[in-house]
Amino acid sequence: MTTNLALEGTIDKILKNTENSILSSLKISLDDSKHNLDDSVTKLESEYDKIISDGKKEADKLEKQIVGGSDIEARNKQLLALEAAVNRVFTTALEQITNSARNSEYANLIKSLLEESTKILGTTQVKVFTNAKDKDVVKSSLSNFAGSELSSKTIDCIGGVKIESKDGAMKFDNTIDAKIDRLKPLIRKEIASKFGVKQ
Amino acid sequence: MTTAGGVQYSKISEIKGPLVVVDGVDNAAFDELVEIETNEGERRLGKVLEVGNGKAIVQVFEGTTGLSISGTNAKFVGKVMEMPVSKEVLGRVFDGLGRPKDGLPDPIADKFIDINGEPMNPEQREYPKDFIQTGVSVIDGLITLVRGQKLPIFSGSGMSHNLLAAQIARQATVVGTNDEFAVVFAAIGVQYSEAEYFRRSLEESGALKRSVLFLNTADDPAIERIITPRVALTVAEYLAFELGMHVLVILTDMTNYAEALREISAAREEVPGRKGYPGYLYTDLSTLYERAGKLNGRNGSVTQVPILSMPSDDITHPIPDLTGYITEGQIVVGRDLFRQGVYPPINILMSLSRLMKDGIGKGSTREDHAEIANQVYDAYSRSQEVRALAGIVGKAGLTDIDLKYMDVGDVFEKEFLTQATDENRTIEETLNILWKIVSKLPKNELTKIKDKYVEQYYQGK
Repeated sequence: MTTNLALEGTIDKILKNTENSILSSLKISLDDSKHNLDDSVTKLESEYDKIISDGKKEADKLEKQIVGGSDIEARNKQLLALEAAVNRVFTTALEQITNSARNSEYANLIKSLLEESTKILGTTQVKVFTNAKDKDVVKSSLSNFAGSELSSKTIDCIGGVKIESKDGAMKFDNTIDAKIDRLKPLIRKEIASKFGVKQ
Repeated sequence: MTTAGGVQYSKISEIKGPLVVVDGVDNAAFDELVEIETNEGERRLGKVLEVGNGKAIVQVFEGTTGLSISGTNAKFVGKVMEMPVSKEVLGRVFDGLGRPKDGLPDPIADKFIDINGEPMNPEQREYPKDFIQTGVSVIDGLITLVRGQKLPIFSGSGMSHNLLAAQIARQATVVGTNDEFAVVFAAIGVQYSEAEYFRRSLEESGALKRSVLFLNTADDPAIERIITPRVALTVAEYLAFELGMHVLVILTDMTNYAEALREISAAREEVPGRKGYPGYLYTDLSTLYERAGKLNGRNGSVTQVPILSMPSDDITHPIPDLTGYITEGQIVVGRDLFRQGVYPPINILMSLSRLMKDGIGKGSTREDHAEIANQVYDAYSRSQEVRALAGIVGKAGLTDIDLKYMDVGDVFEKEFLTQATDENRTIEETLNILWKIVSKLPKNELTKIKDKYVEQYYQGK
C-alpha cells in the first residue's frame, strides 16, 4: 500500500512535470507563432510593396519604350516626307534656273562670277570653262579679264564658270551648281520653314 | 556660311600616313576644312594642321588609303569644320564625322557651329551642385555625379564599361525638376557589335528620342576619331546652352581617341612624349574635358562621362593619368570584381567624385546621404582588411566584430554593388540598401553618422 502511494506520488509528479513542460512548449510555440505571424505580416507587406513598385517600374519602362518608339517612328516619317517635299521644290527651282533666259542680267551675273573667281585665284591668267549654253555670254565677258581664255571643252552644269590657272595647279569652281551645293543647307532650312517647320 | 567656295589645288607633294602635303598654297588657314578629291571623284574631308612657306599639311579624316600624288586635288573650303545643329538632332544616329547613319536625311539646321567650340569664360562658370540620378546604386550612392561635372570611368580591356555606359545613357535623369534632359553618346573606335548594342539599347528602352548618337566603329578610319568627340560636344553645347537642356555626354573609348592623336603625331614626326603620345596630350584632352560645365544665367548644363580603357589596367598610363588631372574624380572598374562576376564591377576604394559633397544632402538627395556614404566606405575598407587577414589566419582566428565586417563586405558586393543591367534604382532605394549594409554592424560601430540618423534609419536589432 505504502509502495503504491509512493509510486502514485512519483507518477503524479512526472505527469505534472510533463504537463508543465508541454504547456510551456505550447506557450513558447504560441509565442513563436504569433511572432512569426507578426513578422510575416511585415514581410508580406514589404513583399507586396516591392511587387507593386516593381510592377510600376516595369509599366513605366514599357510605357517609355512604346511611347518613345512611336514618337521616333512618327518623327522619322515626318522627316522623310519633309525631305521629299524639299527635294521636289529643289528640282523645280533648278529646272527654272536651267531654263532661264540668258539676258543682260545673266551676263552681269557671269561677269561678277568671273570677277570673284579671278580675285580668289589672284590672277586673270586663267582658262575658263562653262557649259555650251553659256559659251557666248562668257566669251563676251572675258574681254575684261586680260590673259584669260575660254576653253573649247564644255562642262556639264546649270550655269556659271569654272576657272583654272594656266599651269593647272589651282582651280576654282564658281558654277551655279557649286554655289547651290554650298548653300543647300540654308536653302533647305528656308524651304522647310515655308512648310511650317520651326526650329 | 558663305556662297564663296574654296580654291582647289592639284600639286600634292607628299602623302605620309594620314597627312597630305599640298604645295603652292597661299591663303589657307589653320584648322580650315579641306575636301580631298581622288582620281575616281571620291571626296574625303580633312583639316589644315600647318600652313607656311607655300605648303599646307592636311590631316585627312577618312585616311589616305588609295590616294596618289598625281590626280588628287585638295580644295580649301574657306571655313572650319562645322556641325549643323537643331533640336531635330535628338533621336538621330550619326557617324563619327556627324553625317547621318540612320538612313534619314541631314537634319535641317538651326545653326552651324564650329566643332572646336567656344572657350568657356571661367568667370561665367557656375559651380556644379545639382544631382544626376543614374539609377546605378554605386554611382548615385557613393560616387555621385552632379550636373556640369566631368567624371571619367577608368576601365580595362574586355570589362563591362560599355554595358555600364549604355545603362547610364538609358536611365540617367534629373530628379525634382521639369528641366529637359538629353544624352549625347559618342562611341569612338568601338566594335560594330558594341555600336549596335548602344543603338538598340537606347531604341528599345525608348531613350533614343532624348539621345543623339555618334558612332565611329573600329573599322572606320582612326583619324575620324579626332573629330567624333568634338562633334558630339558641339551638339551637347547647343542643346545645353541654346536650348536649356541638361545634357549628359558619354564618350567611349577615349583611349582610341588618344591612339589616333598619337598616329598623327608620329606622322608629323613630332618629338614623342610618354609612351609615344604627343607632348601636348594633356592640353588636347583638356580642350575636350573642359567643355563640360554650367554657365551663369543659362539654364542648361553639359556633364561628361568619358570612358577610357587603361592599357594593361595601368592607372599610371599617360591617358588615365592626364585625364585624372583635368577631371573631377574618377570611377574605377575593378578587374577582381569583374572576374567574380559582379556587375557593375566598380572598385569604390579607388573611385571618387570630387563634387559629390555639393550635390547631395537635404534638398538634393537625403539629409543622411553624406554620412551613410562615408560610413559604408569605411566599413567596406575595413572588410577588405579583414578579408586579407582571414586569408592568413583563417576565419576561426577572427573576432566577432571582424566577422561582422566580413559580412558587410559580402552584403555590399552582393546586394548593393550587384545590379541588373536593366535595374533602375531610385536614390531612396540606394540609400536604404546602404543602411541595410551598415545595420549588419552594432550601433556603436557607426561613428561617422549622427545619432539622430542612426535612430531614424538603422535596421538592426
